[in-house]
Amino acid sequence: MRVAVVPPPTVASPQPRIKRRRGHGEAGAAWAYVSPAALIILGLGILPMAWSLVLSMQSSDLITPPQWIGLKNYEVISQDPSFRAAVVHTLVYTALFVPLAIAAGLGLALLLNREIRFIGFYRTLVFVPFVVSATAQGVLFSFIFDSHFGLANAILHRLHIPTQGFFADEHQALYLLVLIALWSGVGFCVVVYLAGLQDISKDLIEAAAIDGAGRVATFRHIIWPALRPVTVFLVVWETLQALQVFDMVFVTTRGGPLESTTVVVFFVWQQAFEVFNAGYAAAAAYVLAFGLLVLSIGIRFAQRRDDKEVSRS
Amino acid sequence: MGPLLSACGSDSDTGESADGTVTITMWHGQADEAKATIDKIVTAFQAKYPKIKVDASSGGVLADSMLQKITTALSSGHYPDIAYIFGPDIANVARSPKVANLQPYVTKPEVKWDDFYPAAREAVTVDGKVRGFPALVDNLCVAYNKKVFREAGVPEPTGDWTWDDFVALAKRLTDPAKGRFGTGWPAVGDEDCVWRIYPMIWDLGGSIVDDSGKKIGFDNDSGLKALQIIHQLGADKSVYADTKPGSETMYQIFNSGKMAMVATGPWELPAFVDAKTEYGVVPLPSFSGKRMTIAGPDTWTVFDNGSAKIKAAVQFLQFLTDAEQDVQWATQAGSLPLRKSTAESAEWKQHVSSTVGLDVFSDALQYAKTRPTVRAYPRISQPLGQAIVKMLLNKDTPETALQEVARAANAALVTG
Repeated sequence: MRVAVVPPPTVASPQPRIKRRRGHGEAGAAWAYVSPAALIILGLGILPMAWSLVLSMQSSDLITPPQWIGLKNYEVISQDPSFRAAVVHTLVYTALFVPLAIAAGLGLALLLNREIRFIGFYRTLVFVPFVVSATAQGVLFSFIFDSHFGLANAILHRLHIPTQGFFADEHQALYLLVLIALWSGVGFCVVVYLAGLQDISKDLIEAAAIDGAGRVATFRHIIWPALRPVTVFLVVWETLQALQVFDMVFVTTRGGPLESTTVVVFFVWQQAFEVFNAGYAAAAAYVLAFGLLVLSIGIRFAQRRDDKEVSRS
Repeated sequence: MGPLLSACGSDSDTGESADGTVTITMWHGQADEAKATIDKIVTAFQAKYPKIKVDASSGGVLADSMLQKITTALSSGHYPDIAYIFGPDIANVARSPKVANLQPYVTKPEVKWDDFYPAAREAVTVDGKVRGFPALVDNLCVAYNKKVFREAGVPEPTGDWTWDDFVALAKRLTDPAKGRFGTGWPAVGDEDCVWRIYPMIWDLGGSIVDDSGKKIGFDNDSGLKALQIIHQLGADKSVYADTKPGSETMYQIFNSGKMAMVATGPWELPAFVDAKTEYGVVPLPSFSGKRMTIAGPDTWTVFDNGSAKIKAAVQFLQFLTDAEQDVQWATQAGSLPLRKSTAESAEWKQHVSSTVGLDVFSDALQYAKTRPTVRAYPRISQPLGQAIVKMLLNKDTPETALQEVARAANAALVTG
């Protein structure tokens, strides 16, 4: 009975006071905490973005005073065959790289998600290429795929397969870039998928086994749905990365041979620093940025609708 | 950040500080031997002129990327006083009002401007104004691998030859079974690919830009014949087309005895010596019988950070390029003399006699021509590079390739 005597207001009354004090004192502290990050984002993110938006509406070479030309750069770019080619190359690269990286990543992750001897070693081996910088990879592979003196053709020759042009063949260079990107990019997908796989409760899998589900059925009804969020993340992430590919192109092909590997970001670099069309380059960069934005928003929406459907069912 | 701060801080309009010392910043873009040589010369200058402090650094990049670096530096407003700018780029950089006009300085007798080789002087002159000092001159001659010629039982070239001889010789020395090529050509489509065609065009009476300045000057037989020569090399499969940036593989193949001849500059000779390649050097072939080659001069471009700094920069560059220092720079950094007086010095003659083939490059300075310093040049070079790559990979006819170059480059020249 004594317990009931304890007056509720003593518990309730300090709360608003604390809240008020919090609201007052914490805002300042909170701003103090976030301001370094906010300043960095503002200075290194937002400002350059705003500046390049302005630049994209100018005729500028970064050397002489710029001229305001409104949307002229965007008009020109919509009819520029070189830019269109760059967009096509980028889309082909992305359309090949993303599904292949994810499929291979999933396959390898399933293989590596078991308890056998030296599993840590195998997992490390798969991940190591991801750690190698794109520049180093580019240099390495441009030697391997040299059309006359490379290792790849030496092996093909041994196997009595006709030798290939590789980076000297404009019909092969882009696909070769996809292959090299896969070599390193798959490791990342494997690691993310492995984490996803280890999150799946063992009980579920055991229950499925007891219910008589085979390997395929377990994968289809348990593992794949459980990996869905991970897969969505990988699709978004890898697509954004692939659409912005640059360093490997710069090191291995410089957009060649015969402009068969000029991707959008390389086109931007070329316009800005080789032919002094910085305004035009900024416009091209903004077209890419806009594409990325639309893509991200689209995926967000699709995901949200998806979540609703899942929760409804 | 150090050099940037010292370049823009503290000074008045003239760039002179209160005690009369002037600090100048130099981005030389050099590494290894070349950097060590510059550092040594800077120290010597410092001892002689204590009132001028030279802050010399690579600028954080190698010379290959200096253009990008200086472009961003100019747009940010913090730029050095001297930077190493490649010859073909100076015309574009000189559009900036921040690039100094050295015309009033170089006429002074102590600068001995006329002592520089014509190619070197032309390279730093844009629209009649001197924008810097010559930094380096080189040119193209043909290096050949003696061992390859001996093994193939082919007599070595004498330098008395035509481009048709060159094509025939390259074909004869090519042996797919042994993985051996007659010659090599960079095939990225960049400047290293492009400049090798100009001696042919000039020799045939063509020019890069015609007299009106609104059209390319090789949209005629000169350009066609030059492309045909390269096309023939591609069709014969006697040329190794190096599609990797940097052209290093091409020279490695030459050194490993898998390539008979390669057009190259004096910068490659130390590498040949290091690789113990038995090589010889002869002048480029011609069509007409008269000697022709291209000089690829680089520049010390001077930027305007106030008159005191320009004056100090000129004084330093005058010292740097003076025969006494020039000979150090040329011998230790693997280049050629900038001044005629350097070429006549005993020290240089001694150096030439100790390096096989250097005399051929040194003599070629007398007749080497330079690319014009025009702003639209990058937009001529780019389509021409693509045309050359097409020839090397045997993808197109010289006629259509030339038409395409003319269309793209003329459009660029008209708009400026």
